[in-house]
Amino acid sequence: MQGYIVFLVIFTAIYAVFGLGLNLQWGYTGLINFGHVAFMVLGAYTTVLLSLRGVPLIVATMVGAGVAALLGLLIGFATLRLRTDYLAIVTIGVSELLRLIALNEQWLTRGTFGIQRFPLPLANFIPTMSVRILMMAVLTLIVGMGYWRWWKWLRRQVKDIPSEALLKSAPTALGYVASLGILVFGIGAIAKHLKSSNAIPDWGLGLFLVAAFAIVIVSYHILTKRVSTKLSAWSSGLLLVCHFLLAALGLWIFGVSASAIYDYDQNPAKNGLMFVSVVTLALIFWGLERLVESPWGRILKAIREDEEVAKALGKNVFWYKLQSLMLGGAIAGIAGALYAWQLTTVFPKNFEPLVTFNAWTIVVLGGAGNNTGTLLGAAIFWAYEAITRFILEDIIPLNESQLNAFRIMVIGLLLMGLMVWRPQGILGKKEELTLGR
Amino acid sequence: MDAEFFQLLATGIAVGSIISLSAVGLTLTYGILRLANFAHGDLMTLGAYFALVFNLSGVNIWLSIGLGAGLTIVIALITEKLLWSPMRDRHATSTTLIIISIGLALFLRNGIILIWGAANQRYDLPVARALDIFGVKVPQNRLIVLILAILVIGGLHYLLQNTKIGKAMRAVADNVDLARISGINVEQVVIWTWIIAAGLTAIGGGMYGLITAVRPVMGWFLILPMFASVILGGIGNPYGAIAGAFVIGIAQEVSTYHNWVSPEYKLGVALLIMILVLLIRPQGIFRGTL
Repeated sequence: MQGYIVFLVIFTAIYAVFGLGLNLQWGYTGLINFGHVAFMVLGAYTTVLLSLRGVPLIVATMVGAGVAALLGLLIGFATLRLRTDYLAIVTIGVSELLRLIALNEQWLTRGTFGIQRFPLPLANFIPTMSVRILMMAVLTLIVGMGYWRWWKWLRRQVKDIPSEALLKSAPTALGYVASLGILVFGIGAIAKHLKSSNAIPDWGLGLFLVAAFAIVIVSYHILTKRVSTKLSAWSSGLLLVCHFLLAALGLWIFGVSASAIYDYDQNPAKNGLMFVSVVTLALIFWGLERLVESPWGRILKAIREDEEVAKALGKNVFWYKLQSLMLGGAIAGIAGALYAWQLTTVFPKNFEPLVTFNAWTIVVLGGAGNNTGTLLGAAIFWAYEAITRFILEDIIPLNESQLNAFRIMVIGLLLMGLMVWRPQGILGKKEELTLGR
Repeated sequence: MDAEFFQLLATGIAVGSIISLSAVGLTLTYGILRLANFAHGDLMTLGAYFALVFNLSGVNIWLSIGLGAGLTIVIALITEKLLWSPMRDRHATSTTLIIISIGLALFLRNGIILIWGAANQRYDLPVARALDIFGVKVPQNRLIVLILAILVIGGLHYLLQNTKIGKAMRAVADNVDLARISGINVEQVVIWTWIIAAGLTAIGGGMYGLITAVRPVMGWFLILPMFASVILGGIGNPYGAIAGAFVIGIAQEVSTYHNWVSPEYKLGVALLIMILVLLIRPQGIFRGTL
């Protein structure tokens, strides 16, 4: 369990870093980068190949990020002066070309065999008790800062609502969430029983699942409508309850991660990587938050909303776009290094276009132009991965490759649904994004 | 200039004719509906798989491709009703539409894997001997593919130049508002655009399945050459797209002559041509509508 939580935390942190790079390019600047994985592939292979030749890991990672930024420069010079959709086509092509190069230039990348046994960060590091306590303190500081920001934000959301109304609606909301959870769990348990006992044919089980979830969704939709007219502070109560539940879950994950650091020598490579990736994510997040709130970030947003206005104000739009593309690419390059360390073997197959679209789902789901949203999106994405990989297998009447296809279909559907009904995602500001109005 | 060269040229013409069919569809939706449809390649795959279903249940291959095209048109019209038409009514930006099309592409491709599996499949074809044309071996399939492509393109030319709906399509591609003012039923033009785009693309998919294999990623891997042809020929210009497709198809194949470019990097040739066009003449070689 501890090992799996550590695995999930590492992947979530890597995808969050990767998504933050895309969020800078798409969310803040409006650049459609469909080849984000190209930057990752460069970062991963550069870091791994350099570190195999004895270059220190941190230098290798920095060079990897630099090479990824250079790719951004090249792509940018070719396409950033043109219409936005050309960038999408060219980036997707470049990412496929880089994957082909990784596949076929065996003298460099060993092709499909993949590169193995490269140095990992902190893998041979045996921390003393005091060092481990220091590492746990750093982790606590990062999580504590996160919770503090979260708390401040939550306070702002419910500031104007009288506390009696909140107290009245919160228990109802708790009941609502709990009953929904129990219902979904119950349907899952029944389906699991039906599947393992082979009581009904596959199509019957599929029909049962679709019907059961349709009924739950429709009835809770009606319930929500009725309750929200009766209780004044309903949505705020629901918000509060959901956030407290999520905060509790987050604290539990934090506890497991901290205890993993305490038992560092049980799996030094993974525990060390977890520490490195969480610290990297925190640093990049902090840096990006400072950047996007600076005048530089405001110019990027202006370019996203209306390029002509930014141009009329005398800003060099092309140059700012190029900077955004390069910086986002460098961040993806760092994510690539972390990704390689997590996989411990890099194959060209790890860098298919789907990785790019996973990052897109994360950014769109969390809310374009919102770094916190990207973190949330990455957490939801990996929760989805974990749940579907281990739970759906027992419930849905599909074999493994079908299940994999089904999961990606849901991601495609989610991407379409979000862009149609909620283009600002969970945390994005609708009034700030143009979104076609 | 030896036999190998002409062999590659023949292959390039066959590939070019397939790309041209789907690129015409892409350029029409791009130019008329202002939609850079990244799901276009997967529409092509869908056509190939529908044809496969008919073919494996005993229907003649050419009829199967036609029936598959019919079903693909139905799917395309469903996406139009559920997705594209509501989004156009909301004046969604082109970037929003592009992201939706990526979601649709993932959905369609993985739906195909879910239903038909990820393995390569083949049409049930009678074995035919390769024809020998001045020392160049041309499999009969490729020749038929080329002839069929010419026939379809000829039909498209007639439709665009001589029928009322074709003229209306060209008018809408030039300027939607002007077309609407002069009494053209834009909704009808949109429907016809989808019918032609999806039909041609599905036929292209079936023919691509003939000369290679039917697999779930076949169309997705062609999306780059398709976009390259569309940009090369000027967005919204069907004749440009056809010319661009033959240029891309032939360049891709002939570039491997004497290993100038190793065959794995054929895709890179399409990308290179596209980037060169973008750098030198971003509006395309012929006049586009965008």
